[in-house]
Amino acid sequence: MSDYESVGQISEFADPSSTLVEVDDEAIVLIHAAGRFYALDDVCTHDGGPLSDGPLDCEDQTPSIACPRHGAKFALGTGAALTMPATKPTRVHETKVEGDQVFVRLSE
Amino acid sequence: MTSTEAADFGALIAERSDEPAWLTERRQRAWNAFESANWPSSKDEEWMRTDIRLFKLDKFSPAPADNAQPGGEALLAKGVDLGGRIESVNGRAIVSQLDDDLAAKGVIFGGLSQAVVDHSETLQAIFDKEVVSPTYDRFAMLNDACWTGGVVLYVPKNVHLEKPLHAISRLAGAGASDFSKTIVVLEEGAEATLLMETDSDDETTSGLHNGTIEIVVGKGAKLRYVNLQNWNNRTWHFGHQKAIVGKQAQLQWTIGALGSRLAKVNQRVALAGSDAEAQVNGVMFTEGKQHLCYNTHQHHEAPYCRSDLLYKNALQDQSRTVWRGMIGVDEAGQRTDAYQRNDNLMLTSDARADSIPGLEIEADDVRCTHGSTSGRVDDTMIYYAMSRGYTRQEAVRMIVTGFFQQVFDRITIDSVREALGEAIGQRVQDLPNQ
Repeated sequence: MSDYESVGQISEFADPSSTLVEVDDEAIVLIHAAGRFYALDDVCTHDGGPLSDGPLDCEDQTPSIACPRHGAKFALGTGAALTMPATKPTRVHETKVEGDQVFVRLSE
Repeated sequence: MTSTEAADFGALIAERSDEPAWLTERRQRAWNAFESANWPSSKDEEWMRTDIRLFKLDKFSPAPADNAQPGGEALLAKGVDLGGRIESVNGRAIVSQLDDDLAAKGVIFGGLSQAVVDHSETLQAIFDKEVVSPTYDRFAMLNDACWTGGVVLYVPKNVHLEKPLHAISRLAGAGASDFSKTIVVLEEGAEATLLMETDSDDETTSGLHNGTIEIVVGKGAKLRYVNLQNWNNRTWHFGHQKAIVGKQAQLQWTIGALGSRLAKVNQRVALAGSDAEAQVNGVMFTEGKQHLCYNTHQHHEAPYCRSDLLYKNALQDQSRTVWRGMIGVDEAGQRTDAYQRNDNLMLTSDARADSIPGLEIEADDVRCTHGSTSGRVDDTMIYYAMSRGYTRQEAVRMIVTGFFQQVFDRITIDSVREALGEAIGQRVQDLPNQ
């Protein structure tokens, strides 16, 4: 398990918003929604599209982000693929807030 | 474009005050183009599958490696009697050697920085050909403006080089960069073999290579060219490579792509004279989260030409390869015989290979064929090998070697076959049960 890495200050991430951040050479989409931070691989498992360029849906019971290329939706909390054409989940990473800093730790 | 980058460019021009005026002007034109251009976007078809959003040019330094020492014996040079060798560190030559008898015949082989000063007119004529377009994209502009070195090989008419020549480029230090140009020109009836490879001194430091390769094979000339990309897995590798093959000339171009964090290479072969022949061999072996994207283009501009491309890729872990191949035949390219094939061996369920062959044919009397295969290792093969006493890893290594054998059989240089086999063998991991 890698260490937590600071990705910026809370004030840099509006609520709601999704932002591309780099953690340990990897592209991660950091999502700030309803007061919570989520981190997912910024890669759609269907066609490799950049999730951080896609729309957030925080109103639904299961908050999600959609790939801008073909509309596949992924759950923010679990990374599960909610709609076609994606069938595989994207990786979810741990986040934490300490002071005014947001941290992300990559999962295996 | 940042002020730091502009300052770096100014410093580069200042330190190269002995360069001919035509080159300084060319650098300035390329820099102006670079300043006004944008990085490629994922909306471009060519870049759709290659994500460079994390690439930040300002993380890399154009500074040379201080007091760089020659490295150990290079992979492709093991046991080879060489006619000349060049070693560069961070895009600057530190060793340049050529047998006296070859120099006496008019062969030029050395670092490009020195060559543009010593052979200005010859090099200007080659630069003016624009084999690789200096304005193709922002990487090409940056290379044309800021190259610091590279390799030039010029073989005069009817001169045959019996011994291979060798060049290695190394990256040393964190954030090191290599902005190089390779220029190879064989005049009519000449013959040569050039072996080139890359290496990183440290496996953990990030690096950047942004290079071009320009090859001109004259009428009836024969070139065997091998290029092994073996940077560490934290290096960004961008390349524009093109060969122009003249009438009745022959080119055998072999690439090995083993290293880099992300590679995006355009490799083009133009068959510009009738009865020209090009054989292109590619071997890719990836691991971890490597992303290697190679776009190839076989352009038949003249009649009665033959091109044969074979790329074989094996992928481990969550790595990804992208191969986009195009055979283009102009209206003048009657009686073309062109083939392209890409085979992918998936060693894990998380690896991904995109294989996109294509044809654009304007002539009406041609034979153009292409194929692509992707598949996993057959568990039955591993079971059988293990039942004969091999360990699992030995079995996988044997299967991978067998997969690449088709390419190895086409490589006529023993040292290259052995070096590629050894480098791949070292990288083979134990295959998980799938």
